[in-house]
Amino acid sequence: MNRKPTTASSSNSLPTDNSKNNGDEKDKGDQMFECNICLDTAKDAVISMCGHLFCWPCLHQWLETRPNKKLCPVCKSGISKEKVIPLYGRGSTNQEDPRNKVPPRPSGQRAEAETGSGFGGFGFGDGSFQVSIGIGAFPFNLLVSAFNFTSHNPSDNQVENDRGPVISKIFLFLAFALVFWMIFGL
Amino acid sequence: MASPSPSERRLQKELSSLMKDPPPGVSVDANAVYQHLNLWNVHMKGADGTLYQGEDFQLQFRFSSKYPFDSPEVTFVGDNIPIHPHVYSNGHICLSILTDDWSPALSVQSVCLSIISMLSSCKEKASTLSIEKH
Repeated sequence: MNRKPTTASSSNSLPTDNSKNNGDEKDKGDQMFECNICLDTAKDAVISMCGHLFCWPCLHQWLETRPNKKLCPVCKSGISKEKVIPLYGRGSTNQEDPRNKVPPRPSGQRAEAETGSGFGGFGFGDGSFQVSIGIGAFPFNLLVSAFNFTSHNPSDNQVENDRGPVISKIFLFLAFALVFWMIFGL
Repeated sequence: MASPSPSERRLQKELSSLMKDPPPGVSVDANAVYQHLNLWNVHMKGADGTLYQGEDFQLQFRFSSKYPFDSPEVTFVGDNIPIHPHVYSNGHICLSILTDDWSPALSVQSVCLSIISMLSSCKEKASTLSIEKH
């Protein structure tokens, strides 16, 4: 960082010396990451939607300066606190002056990664199609699992397989009886 | 001197960059500027091929402590004030980037360039006063 040479300028050192030592030997790549307001390497960097880099404290101060005319200082496109993206590099910015009194810069927005298979919950893929519908005290999932005996996968749903065909047929009968009673019994 | 304020830091950087890469016809007395970092005197030559060719002007930049969030006050000073529709005889410059359209991404360099451009695009030397009479 070019912090030291600027303090030297308070003495009589010529600015030409300053610019030579400072500007030419400074790695040119640094200039890429200068804040457009303070002209220092951006600290707590944020980037606008239009792609311009600022220190968050600098940009915040500018937005506060003209609260009803929030424009990007560089290209004058509309800009707002919500629409800037923080940049997190690997290097920390601890060694720089603590500019308090500035609200923390907006945080990044994380989106969950997209997983390959859409629904994990409903297991349409494996042979046993389980639906649980209940009205009052009647657990109709028994009915459904009873219908399901043709496509049972032996590897899973051991519990239902262990019930045996007799019980499920009894329940099937009871269920049909109940349905008939509900429809025709009135 | 303790660590310089943000505006002083920025002015020092601008001074270095203006010394290194000034717009054509622009020069600044760096030693004088270092005496008063918030008051710059910038020399400007009228660009060749324009109405102001061969003329020398002096601009004064006055920076507040809120610079660059506040625009600098820029006026022509000295005995040669350019005759231009947007320049008052007292040296005041009517230029939007110096007031409402100021942005902290602008600099002494870009303001100088804008003023050179403003002068250079002038087709007829006329003072603000004569414009008002029309």
